[in-house]
Amino acid sequence: MKDTVKLISAEGFEFVIDKKAAMVANTIRNMLTSPGGFSEAQHGEVTFPEISTPILEKICQYFYWSLQFASGKETEFHIDPEITLELMLAANYLDA
Amino acid sequence: MANCTKRDDGGSGRDTGCGRKADVRRCGRRCFAAARKARARVARWRRDRSSLDQLVSRAIGSRHRELATKRLSLISSSTDSEDYRDALSVRGSMSSICICKRTLFLIQFFFYGSTLTVLFFNVLGHSRLKELDMSRCSKITDAGIKQLLSIKSLRKLEVFQTGQQDNDVAKVSHIKKMGLLDKGLIRRSDSALNSLYVLTKLEYLDIWGSEISNIGATALEKFPMLNYLNIAWTKVTRLPNLPITSLNISKCGIHSIVYRDDKSIAPLSKLVATGATFFDADEVFSCLQPGCLKFLDISRSNVNSFNFAVNLQGLEHLDLSYCQLTDGLMEQVATIGENLSYLDLSNTKITSHSLSILTGCVQNLENLSLSHSLVDDASLAYISMMPCLRVVDLSCTRIRGFVYSNRENSEKMLSLSELQNLTHLVSLNLEDTKVIDEALQPLSLLTELEYLYLKSDFLTDISLHALSSLQKLRFFGFRGCVITDYGLLSYRTPPLLSVFDLRGSWLLSADAISSFRRKHEQIEVRHEHVNSLFVDENVSYGLPAPLTTTKATLSRLGTEKSSKRPSFTSSFADERIKYSAEELLELKSSPGSRCTREDLDLVPGMLRNQ
Repeated sequence: MKDTVKLISAEGFEFVIDKKAAMVANTIRNMLTSPGGFSEAQHGEVTFPEISTPILEKICQYFYWSLQFASGKETEFHIDPEITLELMLAANYLDA
Repeated sequence: MANCTKRDDGGSGRDTGCGRKADVRRCGRRCFAAARKARARVARWRRDRSSLDQLVSRAIGSRHRELATKRLSLISSSTDSEDYRDALSVRGSMSSICICKRTLFLIQFFFYGSTLTVLFFNVLGHSRLKELDMSRCSKITDAGIKQLLSIKSLRKLEVFQTGQQDNDVAKVSHIKKMGLLDKGLIRRSDSALNSLYVLTKLEYLDIWGSEISNIGATALEKFPMLNYLNIAWTKVTRLPNLPITSLNISKCGIHSIVYRDDKSIAPLSKLVATGATFFDADEVFSCLQPGCLKFLDISRSNVNSFNFAVNLQGLEHLDLSYCQLTDGLMEQVATIGENLSYLDLSNTKITSHSLSILTGCVQNLENLSLSHSLVDDASLAYISMMPCLRVVDLSCTRIRGFVYSNRENSEKMLSLSELQNLTHLVSLNLEDTKVIDEALQPLSLLTELEYLYLKSDFLTDISLHALSSLQKLRFFGFRGCVITDYGLLSYRTPPLLSVFDLRGSWLLSADAISSFRRKHEQIEVRHEHVNSLFVDENVSYGLPAPLTTTKATLSRLGTEKSSKRPSFTSSFADERIKYSAEELLELKSSPGSRCTREDLDLVPGMLRNQ
């Protein structure tokens, strides 16, 4: 089993990240772990036609930050005010 | 991998066990926190985004975008200047992006601005371009501007909300003869303003939404020719003595406007202060030269005393909507009197008593809006004593259409019959009032009426037929009423009727509507059963024109169509500050449209509030 997954943004940019990081988002976790042989689980690829590249990038950063935070390293996660709204929508969708 | 699973388990364990910590970690919560920390920046971002981006994406279909790109390549390929002009005028007629005026080119990249890039200006370089409006071309950057500035003939430049950076102002200043500069919504600071002083001929300066503060404002004195200034949504609180005739200070906090009594300079005649916060309104207005102000819009402002009204004797247009206006303050307002022709009192707390005060003082009033106020039938008697009234908006008030002649007696008097005295009345709005069929009978005598707006659950076929005596009607809104198929088909339509608005009349069947439309092809019928092509067509061809039409429609028709274009009205908020109604009308140039300028003048309520 591969331990990376590929997240693809609305514009088609691909982010390859550790599976454990991606699992921070409950939605992605469900996609990747649901039984039934969904293509997401099989290929380790998830496409997000609603999420733009910069937001998805921030999301990926967030995944890693969240892992760090959970393991006790409490750093600050900087979010530009200009992207808060879109990021919030994405986070809500991803259940992260 | 094993390691990873373990950590995951740990994570989810914490999720349930120690919810608070997991909560802090959540991305959404982080966003909230970040947004809260930088409130001002988020507000600015929202302001930047709200009207424009939404508008662009909704209003232009992909078809139009294609069209625009195609045209762009056409222009780029033509090297001869004559051809180029042709190309431009074709553009103008096709999509009203570019409007050619005599030898001047006034170019409006109003909407599809976002697809424009720097390249375009290679072509523009050799033209005799005098006016350029490239508002909202967010892809235009410094490089593009630089090319643009090689055009020596430029007199007018509007670069409102482009991708241009602050430090570029200095370059703009090459053009010493520039008369108009519209730089709204660029992050502009006081120091940047300094570099503009070479523009000594500047007459029109639009820097709304910028970072200008009082320091920058004092420096505005260095523009001797300035007569139009828009500093809405800035941090300016004190304005120096300026020779301007038109000033927009919407959304500002205002301490004072200095005015030196100097006969040589033209006095301020138009002041727009929508949503402004006056620290002491009396003091601010006492500085103005009495009797010179013609146009005053202080809607949504915090003005709560009108002692300064004595100073405003010459006023013709007064907008007090959404003010904290009550009956007690009305006497002060009434002293403005005589010359007033437009008065907007909508969304205030005034009752019929206010009108009794007002009635003798406003003999020249033509346009009165009382929408969403507390007036009732008693007010109609007073309204009827304002002889020049042409447009009356009584929507969403307590009008019922009848009064009881005395307290004990239950004899009903039809109050709308009072309106017969108004011989000039052409537009009447009674939407969302409690009128019933019987009460509407007197309206059939208002034969001069051209625009009638009705919306009520109580109206039936009876009213429809009673009103067929109004032979001059051009717009008839009969919304949300209980009319039957038979009632509609037997309705004798007035000869000039062009729009018949039946939306919300749920009893009508699709068949009845379509046979009515077949019978009266010249009439635009609006109903849920009619696919409202009038909106979609406009969108596919483009630009400013449909916008104004849609806007008029929306304002006239309230909340309808919400499913199709959600939050469309709200996205106009910024536009209202940016453009006056007249300017919006000028943007409009579609020949097929039935709404002329006069028509829109008559549209009550919201449209005129701008």
